[in-house]
Amino acid sequence: MRIHIVKRESCPIWKRLLYYLAAVAAALALGAVLLMAIGVDPVAYYWRMFTMGMVGNRIAYRAFENYLKVFVPLVVTAVALSLAFRMRFWNIGGEGQFILGAVAAAAVAFQAGPVLPQPVTLILMCLAGMLAAGLYGVLVAALKVKFGTNETLLTLMLNYVALYFLTFLAETKAGWNFFLDETSARPIFASFSSLASFPGIPIGKFSLNVCVILAFVIGALVFFYLKYTKHGYEIAVVGDSVGTARYAGMKVGKIVLRTVFLSACLIGLAAAFKVGTAGILSAAITDDVGWTGIIVAWLAKLNTAAIFLVSALIGVLQYGSTAAAATFAQVDSSFADMLQGAILFLVLAADFFTRFRVVSSGKGGKSNGNG
Amino acid sequence: MEMDKLGVVTTFLHGIVVYNIPLLYGTVGEITVEKSGSLNLGVEGIMAVGAIFGYLVGCWTNNLLLGILTGFLAGALCGLIFAVLTVSLQANQNITGLTLTTFGLGVYFFVGNGVKAVSWPAMNDYSSIKNGFADLAVPGLSQIPVIGQGLFNHNILVYLGVVIALAMWWYLNRTTPGLRLRAVGENPGAADSVGINVKRYKYLHICLGCGIMGVGGYYMGLNMSGSFSSSCWINGYGWIAVALVIFANWNPALAILGTFVFGFFNTLRVSGGSLAAAFPDTLGWLGTVPSQLYQALPFIITAIVLVVSSIRQKGSGQPAALGLNYFREER
Repeated sequence: MRIHIVKRESCPIWKRLLYYLAAVAAALALGAVLLMAIGVDPVAYYWRMFTMGMVGNRIAYRAFENYLKVFVPLVVTAVALSLAFRMRFWNIGGEGQFILGAVAAAAVAFQAGPVLPQPVTLILMCLAGMLAAGLYGVLVAALKVKFGTNETLLTLMLNYVALYFLTFLAETKAGWNFFLDETSARPIFASFSSLASFPGIPIGKFSLNVCVILAFVIGALVFFYLKYTKHGYEIAVVGDSVGTARYAGMKVGKIVLRTVFLSACLIGLAAAFKVGTAGILSAAITDDVGWTGIIVAWLAKLNTAAIFLVSALIGVLQYGSTAAAATFAQVDSSFADMLQGAILFLVLAADFFTRFRVVSSGKGGKSNGNG
Repeated sequence: MEMDKLGVVTTFLHGIVVYNIPLLYGTVGEITVEKSGSLNLGVEGIMAVGAIFGYLVGCWTNNLLLGILTGFLAGALCGLIFAVLTVSLQANQNITGLTLTTFGLGVYFFVGNGVKAVSWPAMNDYSSIKNGFADLAVPGLSQIPVIGQGLFNHNILVYLGVVIALAMWWYLNRTTPGLRLRAVGENPGAADSVGINVKRYKYLHICLGCGIMGVGGYYMGLNMSGSFSSSCWINGYGWIAVALVIFANWNPALAILGTFVFGFFNTLRVSGGSLAAAFPDTLGWLGTVPSQLYQALPFIITAIVLVVSSIRQKGSGQPAALGLNYFREER
């Protein structure tokens, strides 16, 4: 008997969800075995992690505010990346674009903050972040369009160029370096939270950062853009087949440049949200959202609404593990990384069964020459 | 006085080799994988997994060879995960590779922190590991003034790395399976139609390549004498290896040269100061270069190489089907 693989025409949504849930459950079970091996009660740990330490916590609203600080940059970055991925443009330079966006936004905060009213400063920070990140992204798109340069590898390289630029700013004490705290003998970033900081909307004790609302607005706009505009249609056609797009008279190069610029701009905006909320730069400002965003966008099948859901879940995993580490000293965040990896591996495996069917073609099967 | 200055040069050359050969393992491993048409972005994580398990098993058995083997097997096992997901289950290679990095670093710290809490093995307590990792001089060549001691007096893993790189070059360019492997990476459909078992070639070479990366990871651990801290032993070397593959134009023999070039910057960052002190008139400026520039240089150079080779459009060793999954029924 031979088995072979056939593409599925379609897979009902309940079946897909079932596969994914089974994959997550299996990963959690594997994690539970590991936890038991090191003498930790898995039920208690998972409870603490998935509730993010908020149950029975008198300042649970604080925990939720902090969770949203993890969620917002991740979801905006993932939505942004999905734009480029829809055209099969592998922008894995989210980290680098985020870093440049954050540096540009912080530069505006330091320079414009003391002289301009705060709302103007914040808007300028967003624009500067978008421009810096957008240009860094569109540079690669231009090379790809003009010379066919491999964008996966080039954006990967540029991530590290940006990263070491940021470390250079973080570690170089000099007269021109206004990013650093002048009063400190050792190089540390200066805070600008008194100059510019995204305001919160108080709901009882809880303060809802405007960036959360903006993130949902961006999500809605991108959804509309992709689904109901000519640009969105062009992106879909280019993603399906560059040949078809050319045949239909679309200027593929222009579409790629425009979309990648937009994608990178939004990543810069996510960075502006992040620094504008934190009020300070840091060498680890990205929190790896450029990497995690790629995985989120892909898991969500580049569907904007699903990206919000997946981001929320990954955020729980990441923030929850930090919260749980406070109670379970022997399980640090490395467990969350492993768990996240295991979940992704199994979801990727489950994904196969939603896209393909394995059929057996009876005994003997059809011969294909070399067995 | 003059001798001292030459001594600085010798130490510098020695440093380039001893601290950067793990890059060669990572690069040759990644070339092996990429020649099969798979872009594996999990090098950093795979090296980390090879490092931690290789180090622990090596110390606990007090056997360098077992450490190397374990590093290899741990890496190959990561490769197997990658192969199952991308070759059999058609998962996206970029996503799988990036996940492998997250997962591998998670495993590294989880295991490392766990062992540290009990009792961490210090390399010096294990005589066979310590002696096995000691420098061995190449007869004759190591007597050359200045460069002899710098380039030809090294631990066994340095020589092994160079041998693996040359063997891989020979395998890829001078043997039938190597030719077939390259065919799989260039055009799996065509390779399949002439009777090459594409899946088997991909599985074997992904696992082999990742195993080589794992040995490189083990080497990193030995280099640090295994002192376990909050930063990973691999410390970004996996990503530099991904860049080095491009710089070496997918050629394992050129990777030796590339390792030396990237290692040169790396060593300038660490001990450029001693060169500046020994030759204040000619190399004094070295002390003023920001260290981050040295760290960024491998990536800047590789970016330039990528762009230039795409403009020239020829002579690139990049496999044509790199990063694309092969689905037989869609041939």
